[in-house]
Amino acid sequence: MTAVARRFPDWDWLASHGGEVAAQLSEHVELTALAVAAGFLVAVPLALLARRVPPLRGPLLGFTGVLYTVPALALFVLLLPFVGLSRANPVIGLTIYSLLILLRNTLVGLEGVPAEVRESALAMGHTRRQLLWRVEVPVALPAIVAGVRLATVSTVGLVTITALIGYGGLGQLILRGFNRTNATQLVAGLVLSVALAAVADVALAWAQRRLTPWQESRTA
Amino acid sequence: MSALAQWLSDPASWWGPGGLLARTLEHAGYSLGTTLAAVAVTLPVALWVGHTGRGRLAAVQLANIGRAVPTFGILLGAFVAFGYGLAPVYAALVALAIPPIMVNTVVGVGQVDPEVREAAEGMGMRGWQVLLRVELPLAAPMVMAGVRTAAVQVVATATLAAVVGLGGLGRPIVDGLAQGAAYSPRAQAMVVTGAIAVALLALAAELGLSAVERALTPPGG
Amino acid sequence: MRFMRKSAHRSRWVAMLALVLLVATGCGDSQEVAQEPEGGDDTERGTVVVGSTNFSEQEIVAEMYALVLEDAGYTVERRFQLGSREVVLPALEQGEIDLYPEYVGTALEFLSGGAGEATSDTAATTEKLRERFADKGVAVLEPAPAQDRNGLVVTQETADRLGLETVSDLEAHAGELVFGGPPECPQRPLCLQGYEEAYGLEFAEFRPLDAAGPVTWAALENGDIDVALMFTTQGVIEDKGWVLLEEDAELQPAENIVPVIREEVLTDEIADLLDGVSARLTTEAITALNREVDAEAADPRSVAEAWLQENGLIS
Repeated sequence: MTAVARRFPDWDWLASHGGEVAAQLSEHVELTALAVAAGFLVAVPLALLARRVPPLRGPLLGFTGVLYTVPALALFVLLLPFVGLSRANPVIGLTIYSLLILLRNTLVGLEGVPAEVRESALAMGHTRRQLLWRVEVPVALPAIVAGVRLATVSTVGLVTITALIGYGGLGQLILRGFNRTNATQLVAGLVLSVALAAVADVALAWAQRRLTPWQESRTA
Repeated sequence: MSALAQWLSDPASWWGPGGLLARTLEHAGYSLGTTLAAVAVTLPVALWVGHTGRGRLAAVQLANIGRAVPTFGILLGAFVAFGYGLAPVYAALVALAIPPIMVNTVVGVGQVDPEVREAAEGMGMRGWQVLLRVELPLAAPMVMAGVRTAAVQVVATATLAAVVGLGGLGRPIVDGLAQGAAYSPRAQAMVVTGAIAVALLALAAELGLSAVERALTPPGG
Repeated sequence: MRFMRKSAHRSRWVAMLALVLLVATGCGDSQEVAQEPEGGDDTERGTVVVGSTNFSEQEIVAEMYALVLEDAGYTVERRFQLGSREVVLPALEQGEIDLYPEYVGTALEFLSGGAGEATSDTAATTEKLRERFADKGVAVLEPAPAQDRNGLVVTQETADRLGLETVSDLEAHAGELVFGGPPECPQRPLCLQGYEEAYGLEFAEFRPLDAAGPVTWAALENGDIDVALMFTTQGVIEDKGWVLLEEDAELQPAENIVPVIREEVLTDEIADLLDGVSARLTTEAITALNREVDAEAADPRSVAEAWLQENGLIS
């Protein structure tokens, strides 16, 4: 067992490294937000496309399901020949993972509209666009936001792994604390990462209730 | 290019010690061991919570927070605490597997029709008999769905064992990174074969456990 | 009424999306730990991206480079602990980083694919390294007196039991011993390949661990490995009472620490600043600093800063 040279918890370390901790926290938030936002911007059109062209549904879900089983670390490593160690590496990798969750939830949400409702809406003279915005999207919204919550929480966890390619946000604190057997630094990264995920989850749950007041709130 | 051809054609890369087959077996071993450990740890607690209904909300919420705990952090933290060996890998992967099993079991047992439960009690069954003979079989498909979710995540994440110097399919991925995956076709091939093997293993876990799940689902259920 | 409610919802929805995008794009630039230029004159000085590989010494020396540059008014972006040389060197060539600390012998053997050009002669090895780097647009500055070589380390108990003092002493026992080192070691001319060729060491097993960091220390301490690849400047070796086996077949060449920098960003002023650091950096100095970080969990930045101040290299 490696001797822990520093006492734990070392409040002095925390007090004197507030700047470093804050910088990594903000980096963590940024990477997460970029990945979830980019994932969202790709997932929603894809889901709408799959709605329009039903034969695409199976292959899309299958492909994204397979991609999801590729270990995150391998994905970042395999992006190296294409984007090197640039910021695009963690962002693209994390986006792919959030995309998978978002696509699945958006599709499930859109499919929650009963066929009769769609047909009667069309019969009443709604255009497809109106059907989408007035019927399908409101019905799908809870599932979509639930997807955003899930994607956000899991992305917050995944970001830490990008420490192995020089990013990582709070994962940097974890990795550095580990390399220097500074348990305070490591645990600070770990606790803040959980706290960040919890705060994001609660905030998005709140947004979910505000966006869909007609919907009973449900636990994901 | 020759280094790649050499690596691909060397039987040791596939069948030797440290070859892909050996790494796959290690990986399957970590995954199976940690998933079973998570079931053993979680099931008694979750069944009790689901059966009595006591602390149900707390258990589900705790599990939801548990999902937010980064496996990478637990792994390195547990390494500092326990040192080199399997313990950090078990700590990290068991922590990863607990939440889905917990939630599905608590919810699954909780969803058993109260009338069925009352009928069983009316027949003179004791609490634990109701749990084991009535509630557990009825909740089994749901429990298995949780185990399946957990197992697939564990297989994908057991890759991280290589970060703390252990084996498994993370080995070709971490080694490939260290050996120049940015430019070396040989290192890239290592990473790709490792990643494909993980995906196949995850798929096998998914299909195998789905089959178990279906077998446990009562006809028409 | 219904319609109004819906459009209100939609606008909320749009507002939330806008918020997400705002967060995504707005709170930028946190990664660059940029500092305000402190230099006295008003010459425009650019940003220099300083990188490092994945062990403490690299981060300490990279911090020294970063701190002297900042002191002279440059803006520095730190990208430390990026991975092995196999990760960092391509990043330098592609301009993702501008500068990082290298070791003349290992860098030369790495670039030449193990041509055996590196010798114990620092000047000659550095010259060869410059030639190898020239067509990549990378300059090799003046090497420091400090040298950090690869070394084989065993526990005192193993050394006593097998009577080990030199690397050659391992030959008779290697078949029963497990060797642990960084994952890139089997592919490196001065690591596993070199020990096999120069000393005929055929270990029972190679265990990929980390770059002589906590995983390697714990595995050696635990007895999971018998022999560890470590670095000769690691104070932790002495701290733990381990034995660094003496090199007796001259496998390891001169390994002076040297800044390698992209010619595009190199100026005379930057060269002077970095040469100033190298001139003072001795093996004893870096060994002591490594010890502070590895054994006392000190921060590389504060350790580097204190040393630069002691040596009058920053104000």
